[in-house]
Amino acid sequence: MKNWGLLTAPLGIFLCGMSVLYLKMQGAMQKVTNTTLQDPLVYVPYLLAAAFLTIVIQMVVIKRHLDTFILPIILMLVSIGLVEIARLKPALLLRQMQWLCIAMLVMFIVIRLWPKIKRMLNYPYLLGIGCVFLLGLPLLFGTEIGGSKNWLVLGPVSLQPSEFGKIILLFFLASYLSDHRRVLTLPAHKFLFLRLPPLRFIAPLICIWGLAVLMFVVEKDLGSALLFFGMAVLMTYMATGSKSYVFLAMAFIGIAAAASYALFGHVRVRFDIWLDPWADPNGMAYQVVQSLFAIGTGGLWGTGFGFGHPGFIPEVHTDFIFSAIVEEMGLTAGIMLIICYALLFWRGIKGALKLKNASEALLMAGCGVLILLQMFIIIAGVTKFLPLTGITLPFVSYGGSSMVSSFILLAMLLSLTKEQKNV
Amino acid sequence: MSDWKLKRQIVQVGAFLLVMVAVLSLYIAYLAVWEGQELAENPLNMRGAAAKADIRRGTIFDAHGRVLAQTQNDGTRTYPLGQVMAHITGYNGENIGSAGLEGHANRELLGLTADMSRLGPAAQLLQTDRGNDIKTTIEADAQQAAYDGLAGRKGAVVVLDADTGAVLAMVSAPAYDPNNVEDNWKAMSQEADGPLLNRTVQGLYPPGSTIKPMIADAALTDGVTNEQETFDCPGILDVGGGHSIRESHGEVHNRVDLRKALTESCNVTFGTLGMRLGDDKLKKAFIRFGFDQSIGGEIVMTSSHLPDFGNLGSGDQAQTAIGQSTLLVTPMHMALLASAFAHGGTVMKPYLVQEVITPGGLVVHKAIPEKWLTVTTEAMAAKIHSFMEDVVTKGTGKAAQVSGVEVAGKTGTAENPHGEDHAWFIGSAKLRNRNIAFAIIVENGGGGGKAAAPIARKIILSLQN
Repeated sequence: MKNWGLLTAPLGIFLCGMSVLYLKMQGAMQKVTNTTLQDPLVYVPYLLAAAFLTIVIQMVVIKRHLDTFILPIILMLVSIGLVEIARLKPALLLRQMQWLCIAMLVMFIVIRLWPKIKRMLNYPYLLGIGCVFLLGLPLLFGTEIGGSKNWLVLGPVSLQPSEFGKIILLFFLASYLSDHRRVLTLPAHKFLFLRLPPLRFIAPLICIWGLAVLMFVVEKDLGSALLFFGMAVLMTYMATGSKSYVFLAMAFIGIAAAASYALFGHVRVRFDIWLDPWADPNGMAYQVVQSLFAIGTGGLWGTGFGFGHPGFIPEVHTDFIFSAIVEEMGLTAGIMLIICYALLFWRGIKGALKLKNASEALLMAGCGVLILLQMFIIIAGVTKFLPLTGITLPFVSYGGSSMVSSFILLAMLLSLTKEQKNV
Repeated sequence: MSDWKLKRQIVQVGAFLLVMVAVLSLYIAYLAVWEGQELAENPLNMRGAAAKADIRRGTIFDAHGRVLAQTQNDGTRTYPLGQVMAHITGYNGENIGSAGLEGHANRELLGLTADMSRLGPAAQLLQTDRGNDIKTTIEADAQQAAYDGLAGRKGAVVVLDADTGAVLAMVSAPAYDPNNVEDNWKAMSQEADGPLLNRTVQGLYPPGSTIKPMIADAALTDGVTNEQETFDCPGILDVGGGHSIRESHGEVHNRVDLRKALTESCNVTFGTLGMRLGDDKLKKAFIRFGFDQSIGGEIVMTSSHLPDFGNLGSGDQAQTAIGQSTLLVTPMHMALLASAFAHGGTVMKPYLVQEVITPGGLVVHKAIPEKWLTVTTEAMAAKIHSFMEDVVTKGTGKAAQVSGVEVAGKTGTAENPHGEDHAWFIGSAKLRNRNIAFAIIVENGGGGGKAAAPIARKIILSLQN
């Protein structure tokens, strides 16, 4: 199965979406400018470049007998994201398409160099130190953008190290946990009903948890903190199957959360907004309340693409893009979006179960978990299911770092499907 | 630890995450569908208002196509005739709400046919981005004449087509300028009888002598007098309990019949009739003429304040019959009263919107004149009408005379606790192509024949050609 046909769906979505926007503008007799909508000539070269890269990558995928379903699923998400950005912040469409091309280029390189990259799994401690270093950078040199101090500004580009740190973390967890699976399950100490191994084995894990809490308190980046912590817990359980760790982690985060609620004002604000956004709907809780309004107004079928008012939500093109999609395209589109992620996750888990090498299996399952968990955290945040966090919706939201790191994860996931013969 | 254990644990985590995602999906579905209506209609949700703001409001025209309100290309709403049309067009502001046609005909001006917001994208096919135009029944010339006639004094003028109920002019002074109503909103909104009050339909005034045509009708209908009976007017009437009512300016009418009494506005005669009618018959007459009713729709008229019938002494009965006591009415209702005698005893329901026209020129709504009340018989209406003609030809309302036009009317000079008397003039005129009825009040204007009747003349002249 080559699945070339599936690749036409994302292209179709993009072209249809852009046509609707042009037609709507014609009706209102507006002129094409940078602020209303981009001139097609500006971004078509990048569209062609992305299409070319897609064909090249898919050819590599077919040649190496990798999973041919994954790329079409992801491109669906990407095309919905591009159309939505063209509608919300037309001026940013070009930047996003440039980032898409860069991301796909990086993805191609990762797939080509995978055998070498895979060797990183042999150096768990180096990975651990790298991870701590990368995540520590913004703690020391970070710049605050949009309320979170998790940005590094290097001349003209702003980077979010945590976007790349999460990939290194994934490598570290896969490598460390597969090495120490047996040791970690040794019941060395019995403490109440918990069975714990010697402290020196779980020290790295506690380190990661602590780092996550630190990220939240110092960088005010609840999203990444939750993502890192969730990853660490889920990966540990996948590797060891020990419920003691899960319990320990929950206790740890519970205490940390209670302590930071008591000690730090911004933490308290976040939780109070979550508990009762209607207490201050025009102030602190404005974003969440507007997001709920967007989803409620959209209803089952949405207001129609281009006919809603998602502009009322601040930062709608990054963190809140899901609310904009539901407002204009309805619950149906929102659920389909979630299903795309679930399908990708399903392919990832399915692939992981076929791998013989424990570290590779953990890495692959981890890739799937990371993408799904990130989607879960941000969508839960914008719908008030969980406290609001500031992370991107992978592949959909506007953002260069997020796009590149998501495509690296995708390349890893794709490369690891190699063992499968023509699924 | 064996390989199958790792796989089992991966499957467990996978299943756990998928269940979490499923729960989240159900929660979002709950938000969008079950909670959706409530969230969409939350007063803090600006999306409904924004969707309406995207629609270009239609134009409001007078009966001859003169623009009363229109939306410019830059989105601002302008009112070319400003204060003159203030209480016709009203206003529409995000923070101040709406009034007048901008409020009552909001759906038509926005082209909203039904609430289609829950239809989803399909609703966009039915929704235009330009609202419908409204053609009103207003005659801009008559409106201007009435506004000029008040000449800066407080007051109200209503002009109706007696045969259809079409409102030809509706002026309330002082008025605001709808072009910049938001600028001094705060001061205006705190003033109870300021420019925002539409005196024609919300203002309550003692009718004074303008109620006498109805009392004459009631007295004849109930047989407490006849046209032949003559009354002796010494200029003062003892109403019992040590009280008396007097003629204005100390006049003495001597011997008058009912026709002469109305022409000269004889308080002694009508006071006597009021006492003869008594509570029950007075009450019956007021109800017959609809004074206990209000009107809704595009013209929101409040009902009158009637005296406490059943507990009135003879003095209050006499005072009620000359339009004093605690009786308070709206100018619109007095115009409707005048229209009854000009239209064979029936009152047509007043309306302001003649046609609703789509941007494509299609007339989607056309007003059909509708009877409101039958208040008296055709013969009785003709009789009272002829009395009222005498008022203008040889009585107190000579200032309303227009050569070549049959004008009928009744003056009124209503005592009130706010100073100088209110000047009233109600009546009707047979023009070449229609039959108009009107009511004019100039607050604290003095004598009705002097202050109000000349305004009627100006209005008739403006409508004559």
